[in-house]
Amino acid sequence: MGKTIDIIKQKRKVSESVKQNIKDFNAMKKKILATMEIEHKSIPQIAEELQLPLDVVTYHLMTLQKFGFIEVSELDDMDEYYFYNLKK
Amino acid sequence: MIKSEEYDVLVIGGGISGAEASINLANQGFKVLIVEKDLSVGGKMIHLSKVFPTLDCSACITTPKISQTARHPNITIYTYSQVNDIEKKSEHNFQAIVTRYPRYVKEEDCTGCQICEEKCPVVVNDQYQYDLVGRKAVYVPFSIANPRVAAIDIENCSFCGACEKACPSEAIDFSQEKIDIQINVKSVVIATGFRLFDPLLIPRYGFGKYKNVITAMQMERQLVPTRPFNHVLRPKDGKMPDKIAYVLCAGSRDETIGNPICSQVCCMYSVKQAQLLMGALPLADITIYYLNIRSFGKGFNEFYQQAKDMGVNFIKGKIGKITETDNGNLLLRYEDIIEGVVKEAKHDLVVLSVGILANQGISSMFKDTLELDPFNYIKQSDELANPAKTTIRGVYVAGTASGPMDIPDSILSAGAASAEIAGYLRLRR
Ligand SMILES: Cc1cc2nc3c(=O)[nH]c(=O)nc-3n(C[C@H](O)[C@H](O)[C@H](O)COP(=O)(O)OP(=O)(O)OC[C@H]3O[C@@H](n4cnc5c(N)ncnc54)[C@H](O)[C@@H]3O)c2cc1C
Ligand code: SF4
Repeated sequence: MGKTIDIIKQKRKVSESVKQNIKDFNAMKKKILATMEIEHKSIPQIAEELQLPLDVVTYHLMTLQKFGFIEVSELDDMDEYYFYNLKK
Repeated sequence: MIKSEEYDVLVIGGGISGAEASINLANQGFKVLIVEKDLSVGGKMIHLSKVFPTLDCSACITTPKISQTARHPNITIYTYSQVNDIEKKSEHNFQAIVTRYPRYVKEEDCTGCQICEEKCPVVVNDQYQYDLVGRKAVYVPFSIANPRVAAIDIENCSFCGACEKACPSEAIDFSQEKIDIQINVKSVVIATGFRLFDPLLIPRYGFGKYKNVITAMQMERQLVPTRPFNHVLRPKDGKMPDKIAYVLCAGSRDETIGNPICSQVCCMYSVKQAQLLMGALPLADITIYYLNIRSFGKGFNEFYQQAKDMGVNFIKGKIGKITETDNGNLLLRYEDIIEGVVKEAKHDLVVLSVGILANQGISSMFKDTLELDPFNYIKQSDELANPAKTTIRGVYVAGTASGPMDIPDSILSAGAASAEIAGYLRLRR
C-alpha cells in the first residue's frame, strides 16, 4: 500500500504549537534522563539540579516512566520521595 | 449518495447504562446500534478504581459487560461518532444522521500493538489519565479500551508519517474522512450520561493554580493498577501524601454556581477512596469535610461507619478558601459547622469531590421537542409509572442522562428503559 501521509499533508499544515511542543518535550527528556546517568534521583533532586519547577519535572518524569525510559528504584529514608533510574 | 442502515433501536451513549439497555434488547432479538462519541465504550465506569459499597474492581465488572456488548450478534457499535437530526417520521419510525469521525486508523487492521506510539514524536496531555501525564498523538486510548485500537489526534499530529512507516499491520490511513450514514430506527434510548463539574469555576479552591489540589476523578486514576504515577503521589512534586483532605459538594448543592442539587455519588465515592487510600498509604491521615453525609443506599451507612472505624476523620465543615503554604502544602480555611467557628487546617493533598452535571446539547440532536427538567437532565414524562419515558413517544432515557445516580441505579434504570422499549416495539410486531 502507498503512503497516505502525503494525502493529509496536502490538506493540513502542522501548527506552530505542535512544532514547539515536540522541541520542548525532547529538550526536557534529554535533560531529565541526563541527570540519572550516574545514579538514581528523586524529583526534588532533579528539579534542583535543573532549576526547573517541581511540577514540570513530575509531569515529564512520569510521562517518561509511562513511555518506558525510566523505572522506579526505592523510597528515600523519610518514606516521602521515590528515586528513579534509567531503564536498562 | 449517503449510505443508509436500519436497526430496531438506536442507543446514544455506550456507558454502563447504554451497554446494559443494549444487551437486554439484543437478547430479545432486537437489532441495536450504539453510537458512542468517545474512542471507546465504557463511559466513566471503565475508568474507576473500585466501586462502593462492595469495593469490587470496577474494570473487572465493566470489561466483561462491554465485551459482551461488542461481541453480541445483534449489536453494532460506532465509536467516535455522533447522531444528529433525529426526526420522528411516524410511530415506530425515526430517521437520523450518524457521523463517523475518522480515527485515521483502520479499526479492522489495527492490533493495538502500540508500535506507532513508540515512534510518534508528539506528547500532549492524556485525557484518560485526567491530564496527570502525557500521551502520544497516535494512541491506543487506554489499556482496556474497547475497541482496543489506535487513533490519531489529528489536531496535534506533526504529519511526520513515522506511525504509518512503523505500523506492521498497515493500519494507519490518513486518507480517511468523516462519513455520514442515514439510519432508520423504531425507537431511541438516550444514555448519554453526565459531565463532571469543572472546579476552575470555584477559584477559591485553587484548582489549576495549586497542583496538589486535584479532582476525585484524578484520584480514581491514581488508585487503579494502570495509574499515571508509580504510586499515589502528589502531582506537584511526586511526594507520597500523608495528610489528605476531601472537600465534599464541590460544585453540588450550590446555587451560586448554578447547581443546587445533590450529585448523589460524591459522599460515597469519597468514603470509598478514603478506605482505598488507607490501604495504599497506611500511615496517612484522611479527613473528609462534609455538609451532610448522604449514605442512603443499601449498605451505604455501614460503609460510612466502616470508614470511621478505620480512622477516617469526618468534619462537618464548609470550606471557605484553600491557599498554598510551604512545600506545596495547603491551608484549608473552613467553618466548623458544629462549633460555629472558623478554623484552619493544613493538608498536603486536597481532593475535590466534584459533582455531576447534565450533559449539554442532547435535546438539540432531536428535531422534535425533547423536554429537559429544571436541571437540564432529560425530563421523565411519567417518572413514577414509566420512568424511562421522555416527552417524545418512542424515545427513552437510561441512567444518569435522567439525573445523578450510582452504578446499580443506572443499571436498574437501563433495565426499566429496555423493558419499556420492548413493550413499545411489540405493539407493532
Ligand atoms: C469520581 C467518581 C467516582 C464514582 N464512583 C462510583 C462508585 O464507586 N460506585 C458507583 O456506583 N458509582 C460511582 N460513580 C458514578 C458512576 O460513574 C455513574 O453512576 C455511571 O458512570 C453512570 O453511567 P452512565 O452510562 O449513565 O453514564 P456515563 O458513564 O457518563 O456514560 C455515558 C456515555 O455516553 C457517551 N456520550 C455522551 N454524550 C454523547 C453523545 N452526544 N453522543 C454519543 N455518546 C455520548 C459518553 O462518552 C459516555 O461513554 C462515580 C462517579 C464519579 C465521578
Ligand atoms: S495502528 Fe498499527 S502500530 Fe499502531 S497500534 Fe494499531 S497495529 Fe499497532
